[in-house]
Amino acid sequence: MTLHMTWPGPDLELFAAAEEAMRQLPPAFPLEATVAVNPWLGQTGEDRLTAAARMERVGGGALFTPRTEIASRIASGEITKADLAAAAAEHGESPEALAKAAETPRPAPAPVPCLADIAARQTGVDWPELIEERIGLWAAAQFDRGQAFWPAPGQSAWPSWRAFAARDLTPALAGLPGYAARIAESPSHARAAFAEACAALDLAPEAAPGYFHRLLVTLSGWGQMARHLSWTAERDGGRDDTLFEMLTLRLTWEVALLEAGGAVTAEAWAEARARFAAPLVPDAELSRDAALQVAYDLAAERRLVTELAEPAPEPPEGRPALQAAFCIDVRSEVLRRALEAADPGLRTKGFAGFFGLAVKHAGHASDLSEARAPILLNPGVTSATAGEDLGDRIHLRAIRAWGRFKRAAVSAFAFVEAAGPLYVGKLIRDGLGQTGGSAKAPAPVLDLPLADRIASAAQILGAMSLTRDFARLVLICGHGATVTNAPHASALQCGACGGHAGDVNAALLAGLLNEPEVRAGLAETGIAIPEDTWFLAGLHDTVSDQVTLFDDALPASHAEDAARLRKALAKAGTQARTERALSLPRGAEDRLAARGKDWSELRPEWGLAGCRAFVAAPRARTAGRDLGGQVFLHDYDASQDPEAQVLELILSAPVVVASWIALQYHGSSVAPETFGAGNKLLHNVVGGIGVLEGNGGALRAGLPRQSLHDGSQLRHGPSRLQVVVEAPQSALTAVLERQPQVRALFDNGWLSLIAMDGQGRLSRRDPDGGWTALDGAPEAERQAA
Amino acid sequence: MSLLLLFSALSPALAAGAIALSPPARGDWRLRLPEIAALIALALAALAALNLSLNGPTTSPLLGLASVGFSVRTDIVSIAMSLTVAFVGWSVLRFSRVALDGEARQPAFMGWMAATIACVLLLVSAGNLLQLVLGWVAVGVTLHRLLLFYPERPRARRAARKKAMSGLIASAALLGAGAILIAGYGTGDIAEINAQARAGTGSGPIWLAALFLAVAAVFKSALLPVHGWLTEVMEAPTPVSALLHAGVVNAGGFLLIRFADVLLANPGVLAVLALIGGFSALVGAAVALTQPAVKTALAWSTSAQMGFMVLQCGLALFPLALLHIVAHSLYKAHAFLASGGAVGEVTATRRPGPVAVPGLAAVARAFGLALALYLAVGLLFGITGKPPQVVALGAILIFGVVYLIAQGLADLAPRALTWRTVAMSVAATLGYFALQEGATLLSAATLPAPPPPDGLIWATITLAVASFCVAAVAQTTFPLWAGHPAAAGMRVHLMNGLYLNALSDRMSGRWTSKTGATQ
Repeated sequence: MTLHMTWPGPDLELFAAAEEAMRQLPPAFPLEATVAVNPWLGQTGEDRLTAAARMERVGGGALFTPRTEIASRIASGEITKADLAAAAAEHGESPEALAKAAETPRPAPAPVPCLADIAARQTGVDWPELIEERIGLWAAAQFDRGQAFWPAPGQSAWPSWRAFAARDLTPALAGLPGYAARIAESPSHARAAFAEACAALDLAPEAAPGYFHRLLVTLSGWGQMARHLSWTAERDGGRDDTLFEMLTLRLTWEVALLEAGGAVTAEAWAEARARFAAPLVPDAELSRDAALQVAYDLAAERRLVTELAEPAPEPPEGRPALQAAFCIDVRSEVLRRALEAADPGLRTKGFAGFFGLAVKHAGHASDLSEARAPILLNPGVTSATAGEDLGDRIHLRAIRAWGRFKRAAVSAFAFVEAAGPLYVGKLIRDGLGQTGGSAKAPAPVLDLPLADRIASAAQILGAMSLTRDFARLVLICGHGATVTNAPHASALQCGACGGHAGDVNAALLAGLLNEPEVRAGLAETGIAIPEDTWFLAGLHDTVSDQVTLFDDALPASHAEDAARLRKALAKAGTQARTERALSLPRGAEDRLAARGKDWSELRPEWGLAGCRAFVAAPRARTAGRDLGGQVFLHDYDASQDPEAQVLELILSAPVVVASWIALQYHGSSVAPETFGAGNKLLHNVVGGIGVLEGNGGALRAGLPRQSLHDGSQLRHGPSRLQVVVEAPQSALTAVLERQPQVRALFDNGWLSLIAMDGQGRLSRRDPDGGWTALDGAPEAERQAA
Repeated sequence: MSLLLLFSALSPALAAGAIALSPPARGDWRLRLPEIAALIALALAALAALNLSLNGPTTSPLLGLASVGFSVRTDIVSIAMSLTVAFVGWSVLRFSRVALDGEARQPAFMGWMAATIACVLLLVSAGNLLQLVLGWVAVGVTLHRLLLFYPERPRARRAARKKAMSGLIASAALLGAGAILIAGYGTGDIAEINAQARAGTGSGPIWLAALFLAVAAVFKSALLPVHGWLTEVMEAPTPVSALLHAGVVNAGGFLLIRFADVLLANPGVLAVLALIGGFSALVGAAVALTQPAVKTALAWSTSAQMGFMVLQCGLALFPLALLHIVAHSLYKAHAFLASGGAVGEVTATRRPGPVAVPGLAAVARAFGLALALYLAVGLLFGITGKPPQVVALGAILIFGVVYLIAQGLADLAPRALTWRTVAMSVAATLGYFALQEGATLLSAATLPAPPPPDGLIWATITLAVASFCVAAVAQTTFPLWAGHPAAAGMRVHLMNGLYLNALSDRMSGRWTSKTGATQ
């Protein structure tokens, strides 16, 4: 009926404004399989200063590193006078004024008020909190994936809200009588309700985008959770209106409060509308924040340039004894370095941890299909574990039936009286960290015809720059983190595998490359894998730095190679743990694995905290340097990539994913209220998808405080990610021309791009597209040049 | 020997004092002091249990004036409670040592946790009213400090204020009850008071004392409709919730069990307790079903479980109430500490595919099977010789088992699953009867048996069995009616906890408390 309504022009403009505002929100993915998202995903088309001004106006949190953090870094010498001077020059300030600004904390200005804020000022009733709590309770049930026994009826957001709010007596009790009746009488179609609300608010299209953005921010993480639905739908060519419907329901509160208010409210509202319509003008203080951030970014750049300039070992030639491919994840860097030191005959490589195989995977005895792929991709290939699983399914269903017996209304009492005392054992077991390990799942099987398997294998090996000099044994090593009792466990898994461990993808690739038919096909495309080469899958546990090898099918001929690999892995594991233990509170080399089993451990490992650079170059450019587990390492050999196709892939996929990760850590560090998950000690898991902090109604997206902060200081330095690529400047420029969205990240200062030439000399790309040579390159080389 | 339980309480108190005097630095081994103290307390309570098994229930000599002061009661109630509290105390203290690492105020937290545990131990081992009242009030004071561990959080302050109000009323009621009891029986010795109550001596408005005890218990154990504070105190770190739900909220039930004979002499008060308890159990459990946040659901479930325990007290089944307290403590402490696993658990329940929904016929068969099971296991444990209260409670619990059986009887459930659920049902029923038998035997020397039922008791029993039977049918057939519009409306009201909290918020001016000041 209403679906085929035609809308008058002003309404269409308002719909467009809503669309624009919704695009300002970043998606937040359910914790079941969460991946890092750039919190400013909606603002990458504008520079950081404009984005910061926008976020201030709508109450979306800070963007730049707090001045206290900058000041302490100036004091420690991490940020030098030269950094400050360069940043000051860029922003037309004096270095002294900038240094002084760092000493003067600047409180965040209040956002332009919405009607809830205005009404709160007028009436003294805390409407923003009440609305947050009401929407939070409703949204928790709406997005619930199985926590509540009595779920919300399955319907879309607006009808669901109408069914909820028309019956909810709380607003009336809090002082807004008639809200329930108003909702009951509201149009059943969200667009009609939206148009009606905008008319009642007398909203002009100029003020609408900013105002809508402000309202969307007040939806907290729930808005971002809804945005993930539309973001995913758009990625797959569809559409989802949940967020629009949530904006509509938020507008109904505004209308109710405007009508309940008097002339003073109306006057304040008119003023607020005017401010929303005004153009964005960053003030001088915000501009100083931006300059201080640049100074910090320059300090980080300087540090990296110095590290890359350190003397390096001679790059090895010929066929290596062993090879090991790891994920680009910064945590691999520590183990790779240790492994190369443990066995000089071993060479490592870095590649995105899904190893080019984006699959929808159905695990053992599971109906759920997990997207084990970067979130940018919608995997078209499926895989499943082989073998019979009926017995295990019955077992899981029996466990589930017992779980339901435990929680259902009357049976919960019987459960406590019959089984409560058994929890003595559970409390002792968990208190002492004696949780059992999970059983090894059967090997996954790829569902793909031979021709496609060959094509995939060829493409993957090309992208990995692994087309010759194959060792006898090649380890394909994914990574995962064994943690317990951790709502944010998936944030520690492999981001390239969609927030899952990387074991399935690694096993799939190793299996693929061991197939004789595939090898025969590869030979025809010019990639000759020696007959005596065997690909072995493994999983690097980033908590314990132990590598599990999936060696069930290992031929006897390679037993010796595997033994040598194991020896190197054991030695490297000890080395990596020793190094990592220093950075962890209460860390000790022999206690790291136990942390993952400790149900009270809130800092089992640091995840990707501290990530600051991305290097795409042959390993020789970074080998032997201690990069502190803070750098993404992607193998790239420009000489094998004359068309710059692999380069384009790297810049548009792994670099973008790395930027999302770095910016998520940045956002959770500098804007914890908007883009951080708060305190783990207070986490209240909601709907199986997210966390509330304490008793609040707001969903907290992003990373928790304990993931970023060690109790005395921030573990993540919120500086801009430095992307270093060994490729000709002309190739980089050409690729950026073809990829305008990636280019925007560099042009607008969200990332910085550094080109490395064949001699290791570095040049920074300026926002205007020019290149500036960077000092700190090896002295000898500079003289030679 | 008779003072063992007092030393048990002293052990965490000393640890708290040591930490307060010289707060340990981050990572210092002395942060382990509280958990070591809890283990010592546990060992001492175990020794006291040994003493009890050798010498029977005793009250230590009095430290005080006239008949009022400090003394230790060693009987099954104090032993069971002390063992539970010390053990749960060890769990939460060990958890806190690691989880709170890096918090600037961790030493203070550990100190107040240990102090709270010490106060609870003092309370549950009390042989004298003065000690009991002191312990009761002190628990509230130390807990308040823990609830305000993040004093900068407005919601934490609000929840702590609500809890303090509730605690004040409970304390006032207990003081009133204590005064009347001392005046009426001429002694502060709890065992003596119970003995006199059993003998029917004593003077004054003892019924009022019983009523005050009931009021104190209802507020302390967060029964509906005064549960509001309990569902809002997730504003303190997880171990506080675990301790609160497993160690502190039981105090109300403990009080009722401690004064079982006084209550038994006032059947009207018992009937009221049964009503409030049953109401809290059913409504609290229904609300818990609708909660999508794990800690919130657990909090409502505590209110329901405490209601069920008070219902047991109301039916004069004090040994079973004691068993319920202990069993619930252990379960709930674990559930809170492990609540971070909820993300994985929700995913795990979705893995093996949809839940098979039992039809009406399957539900009827499940009821038949469960009753047959009840009869068989009941005969094994000699149910024909038990008081009707015990039989009724067994029936209520068997209604719960129906749900387990029904899940396996659904048409779509594979036969192998059916056998598993039946096996689990048999195990649960056996476990329940065995524990019940054990609890009754162990407490025979201390706790009174239920009286022969009169009209009032029969009415209470009938009401309880009927309402739990209806709830069990509703639960088991739930998927068949949950889609009805009336059910959808009911769900909204239940999600909001029937607005009991919103009403108290309105009365306390919650929504105006913050921004009103800024204007």
